[in-house]
Amino acid sequence: MIKLIEKIEGEAKLNFSFKDNKIDDVSVDFMSTRHVEDILKGKTPLDALVINPRVCGICGHAHLIATVRALEACYEDIQISNKAKIIRELTLTFELIQNHFKWFYLTIFPFFGVKQEIAKALYPTQLMGKAIAVFGGQYPHTSYAIVGGVVCEVTNMDIIKVQRYIDETTDFFEKNVLSIQNSDLKTLNTLNDLSHVKGDLRDILKKIEQNDWQNLGKSYDRFIAFGESSYFKKGKSIKTRVTQNLAIDDVKETDSTTSFAKSVHYHDQYYEVGPLARAMIGKNPLIKDAHRRYGDSIFTRILARVYEIPQLLEHTKILIESLDLSEPSYIKPEVDISQLNAVGISAVEAARGTLIHKVEIEDLKIKSYEIITPTQWNLCGGHEQNLGVSQKAMIGLDNVKLAEMVFKTFDVCSVCTTH
Amino acid sequence: MKKTRVLWLTLMSCNGNTHSFLNYPYIEQFLNDFEFIYHPIIDSDYTLEEIISQDIACDILLIEGSVADDFIKAGVPGIDIIKRYAKIVEKIVTVGTCATFGGIFRESNYKDVSGLHFQEERRTDKYNDLFEKTVSISGCPVHPEVLVSTLYAIKKGLSLKLDAYLRPKEYFSYTIHNGCTRNEYFEYKVDNHHFGELEGCMFYDHGCRGPFTHGSCNKILWNEVNSKTRAGLPCMGCTEPSFPKRNIFETKKNMGIPEFLPVGVSKRTYLTLAGITKAFTIDRLEKKLFDD
Repeated sequence: MIKLIEKIEGEAKLNFSFKDNKIDDVSVDFMSTRHVEDILKGKTPLDALVINPRVCGICGHAHLIATVRALEACYEDIQISNKAKIIRELTLTFELIQNHFKWFYLTIFPFFGVKQEIAKALYPTQLMGKAIAVFGGQYPHTSYAIVGGVVCEVTNMDIIKVQRYIDETTDFFEKNVLSIQNSDLKTLNTLNDLSHVKGDLRDILKKIEQNDWQNLGKSYDRFIAFGESSYFKKGKSIKTRVTQNLAIDDVKETDSTTSFAKSVHYHDQYYEVGPLARAMIGKNPLIKDAHRRYGDSIFTRILARVYEIPQLLEHTKILIESLDLSEPSYIKPEVDISQLNAVGISAVEAARGTLIHKVEIEDLKIKSYEIITPTQWNLCGGHEQNLGVSQKAMIGLDNVKLAEMVFKTFDVCSVCTTH
Repeated sequence: MKKTRVLWLTLMSCNGNTHSFLNYPYIEQFLNDFEFIYHPIIDSDYTLEEIISQDIACDILLIEGSVADDFIKAGVPGIDIIKRYAKIVEKIVTVGTCATFGGIFRESNYKDVSGLHFQEERRTDKYNDLFEKTVSISGCPVHPEVLVSTLYAIKKGLSLKLDAYLRPKEYFSYTIHNGCTRNEYFEYKVDNHHFGELEGCMFYDHGCRGPFTHGSCNKILWNEVNSKTRAGLPCMGCTEPSFPKRNIFETKKNMGIPEFLPVGVSKRTYLTLAGITKAFTIDRLEKKLFDD
């Protein structure tokens, strides 16, 4: 049975086969691409800063940050001010936060007998968009992070304005999503601690339990994250055993015969990326407790993603306080990037997980460009002997609607997956 | 009043216009007056499969993304969906630069990628019968207020004044330069711009296309707070047929004169003006804005 999955920044086709009334196999096909990697070939390196945000309308900022870091990785030595680094992390974090809100209220809600909450999705989304725009001029599709720093100068008043957006978003989260205070983040360590908490997330988790869905959607229980920041750690977690040693060169893509999306693996194995992966690698006590109880199920996955919001908001407050406005925003590189013949790789944590960019510059131009998106990790199809992460999570379910829900807990983004 | 029925059809796109639209501050009010028979994110009464296989009553067709004959949407050529609904609707709106001029994806590997009526500046003549019905709202992405207000104007039956590319003049007669906080540096030709500063104008060295790009970015601002040029990022001309140009962060010059000049300004006038402005030094503009 073929099911067209819609409203995922495009579409995907799931082709199910059933045995004894349970899903026994499912193929995941993405049906169109835009050849962004080819479009980049032959362009001036800096033009990638304009083209790449247009890989994706919902996480384009992560593509910008991945691009600028890949370009900067082409230098043996390049000076970036701490201020520029912090501002980039801030705007990337704002994008993560708004993605999480949109996914929760627009994508996840309808599976639980409730309508999309458009106002609740968009109010914090717009605040985070404003916060990015203060630095980047606009959201979506700014290219404000350039090789050497950021184009904007920031004033005290800008900071005050952005702090109000953060506070308002925090307030919104506490009033609507989870009735906790920032100070609770350290004391919320178990699911029991969550029991007195109210809010939309609590309601969804309750519905998962009432429907007896808390063990649905389990996959390999293998997680990976390559993007390091002042908040996220790089590492992998296999059944709670976390190791930090990763070699980005061992991430490989494989073409598919039926889908425009290439599958991604590390040492020939598929890994889940995203907020749940980050929480497992970062050993977040609350998420680890949910994982202890329900494994890598939709319960844990949804909780991990929404619970990342207050932590990220808290972190942006710390980041802003650490800004030294007297530092330069931009330090002109001594050598222009087009003069280099080099390869640069970057990894950033986007809303849905690890995003990798790899650029090769030769004779003043981009010779090749490779983009590996989070949704490729999570959603791409493998084959019978080695199923993809989302495929494995859907097998054994008894109906297509549940499979669609499980599929969407990974948060599908078709445009990113095929780019 | 009856809600206006809208089909939001996304073709070869990053969905950036969809998300830009979600930044419109009063969407709930908008949804009191309009309903999406299909939208890429917002729930709708019909599935895409139903939209594709039936003729659903509809008033306005919004097209997002570039158009190519061989681009397949959910199993059918995207262009077939356009043709089906073009017959049904009163108006077609091309949302964003891809749908209007081909945009960034005209360099993808599909055949003959274009906007609905234009491939860059050139009229394609492929869908001439739809030309009269079409309004273009270019921009990469589209500005949410420009889109929403245009839809209301259509709903009200206003006769919109359109430019040669079918863009509403009320938004596209301005240049991006209008309202930029860096204007004085441009006017007095203070041409030593450095990235990362509040001061300076990106026109002279860093590729800013603001003086010859049409749009209202600096009049109505983005996310209600800022614009690229105010932040210090050159305008990339994203509302224009030629977007994206190459070497975007560079101002191409011939004998020291920028290749592209402000709309309506000849080389000769520009040189005269440049000569005059060079004659005076404005201390305030040579210093940091917030100098002690």
